Amino acid sequence: MAAPLPKRIIKETERLQNEPVPGISALPHDDNARYFDVMVEGPGGSCYEGGVFNLELFLPDDYPMTAPKIRFLTRIYHPNIDRLGRICLDVLKNNWSPALQIRTILLSIQALLGAPNPEDPLNEAVAKQWKENQAEAIKTAREWTALYATAKK
Amino acid sequence: MKFGQEFQKALASTEFPEEWRGSAIDYKHLKKCIKKINTELESIGLDGETLHHLSEWMSPADSIQTVAGQDGKGYYSAATPSLAAVPEEFTPQLRILVDSKTGTPLDATLAPETRESLQKLAKHEMAAAGRREHVGSVKRPLDRLRRRTATEDTARKQSVSLEDARWVQVPLASAKDFFELLEPKLQELETLREAETAKLEEEIFDLGEAVENVVEPVREGFEARREVSYRDLYFWREMFRLYMEKPIFYSEHGPNGGALTFKEAHSRLEDYDMRIRSTGLLEKMRTPEARQAAKRFLDLNVDILKIMHFQEMNARAMTKILKKFDKQTRLEGRAFLRNLRTQYPALLTNGRTGTGGGSTSPGGFASSIARDLNAELATKVLGIVPQVEDWNCPVCYAMAWRPVNLGCCTSVFCINCIIKLQEEGVERCPVCDKETVLQANGRNIDFEAMDFMEKYFPLEAKKRQKFHDRAAKMAERGGGGGKHEEEKEKIPCRTM
Ligand SMILES: [Zn+2]
Ligand SMILES: [Zn+2]
Repeated sequence: MAAPLPKRIIKETERLQNEPVPGISALPHDDNARYFDVMVEGPGGSCYEGGVFNLELFLPDDYPMTAPKIRFLTRIYHPNIDRLGRICLDVLKNNWSPALQIRTILLSIQALLGAPNPEDPLNEAVAKQWKENQAEAIKTAREWTALYATAKK
Repeated sequence: MKFGQEFQKALASTEFPEEWRGSAIDYKHLKKCIKKINTELESIGLDGETLHHLSEWMSPADSIQTVAGQDGKGYYSAATPSLAAVPEEFTPQLRILVDSKTGTPLDATLAPETRESLQKLAKHEMAAAGRREHVGSVKRPLDRLRRRTATEDTARKQSVSLEDARWVQVPLASAKDFFELLEPKLQELETLREAETAKLEEEIFDLGEAVENVVEPVREGFEARREVSYRDLYFWREMFRLYMEKPIFYSEHGPNGGALTFKEAHSRLEDYDMRIRSTGLLEKMRTPEARQAAKRFLDLNVDILKIMHFQEMNARAMTKILKKFDKQTRLEGRAFLRNLRTQYPALLTNGRTGTGGGSTSPGGFASSIARDLNAELATKVLGIVPQVEDWNCPVCYAMAWRPVNLGCCTSVFCINCIIKLQEEGVERCPVCDKETVLQANGRNIDFEAMDFMEKYFPLEAKKRQKFHDRAAKMAERGGGGGKHEEEKEKIPCRTM
């Protein structure tokens, strides 16, 4: 027996459905309303443009006291995202605030795609390449986007 | 024609007050005027066919586009003298391109006899214009002169052959009649807009006071009526919540953001009326004052809609008649309209200048009425009845109960949410990020907010208080370190 869903989660889910953010979607699972299938489009003008990235998002029991758990399912070449899809993003860690929401987090992630930060790396190898040969790194990111993140449906 | 009849019928059949009708655009009369203009044009040899030929090179009136090179007729696209540049003494004129030395009209399609009569007219005009420029130069505002010179300069740069060509304007008496008939109407419509808006604003203000009296929850000495007014308060809230869900006259967002057309507003008001009826809100209100105020609110919306309808119809009539004028006479009706728009800024309030009258934006003064009165309603009437959403806790999204203010910003949280934050070791205020959470204690309870919520949202407050009591009991029973776990375990039993 699942616990009744807090009002906050119900409202956030409703708003995600009723006022969708362009380029972002988040759908809760039928059997677990705390688990979301997320889709984020690569921002225009970035090396992830044209890519559609799948992520999974989970709202822990003590949400919104703690941040949602979120990771990339689609492979991505990015200095702040590791091979397991984990994301290095301040608002998911120390800078989380209960006033933030699913939608603001997803927007931050989309922004992170637009502005990779190799100075605060999670994926050392990618970050190294990014710092030493940015042109090559961007090229690889484009190739990976075309290879893994192009909608096949 | 169709529109004219439609317009007359709408004016006569709907329940517009008699005094408005006098301000309506005289569509029939204006149409007759256009006929007269055509007769006058024909009398100087400009029949329909000639005008059609003329129009081929007269039509790019709005821009200085060059079609040089086509059959050596480059000069035909000369910068046309803009009537908009001399708006104060607007007289519709026929523009003819002539050789500046001989005064010969340069349009090859004109019949010889037409050319002759035009030549006479043009020569006369050039002489007269020369005199006027000379004599009148003192009176004429400088900038207008400069503008004219600038136009000529640009024209000269564009094509060498222009040196020998210049535009001459022939005044047409009957066309002047047309505009003299049209312009005062706009003045009248503007006056009507101002008067009606002021009247409705006053009604909105009065209604606001009436609503305030009715919904003020607990007044000194009226405790006996508490139950009654509480119930009415909820009906009012529902009534306004429905209204704000889909405002009648103005929508902040969506594809039709901005002022809505009469048609849209009409159907929205009908919808709203239906919903109020189907919920039986009016009948449920206990006090006659409340019912009366609610009826006034509905009537007010009908009145706003009425003046909007009237103004929009007239705007459409004006656009139509000017289009007709343009099409049939080739004189610059558009410039006239443009000029009016600068004279009456209220015509332009929603920023959409489209000349097409039938588009999605309401025409003319209607949009400014819709916008102004919508704002008045929102602040002076709807704002009086507080909505519970404004008192939600930023953490759990339920009503912030008991309300705690951390002292760092104006946000109000539930005491439970703050306790949870403290247990999690969160230091910073969820909203403003200042380190105030851990210092919070009983003194941070916002009694003023609590008072307000108890008065305006008594049902919600009761419900939240029950939840709060239960949580407190659980915490007591749990004691020590296991408290957090136990609370989590018990939550499934909650019946909310
Ligand atoms: Zn709360
Ligand atoms: Zn704060």
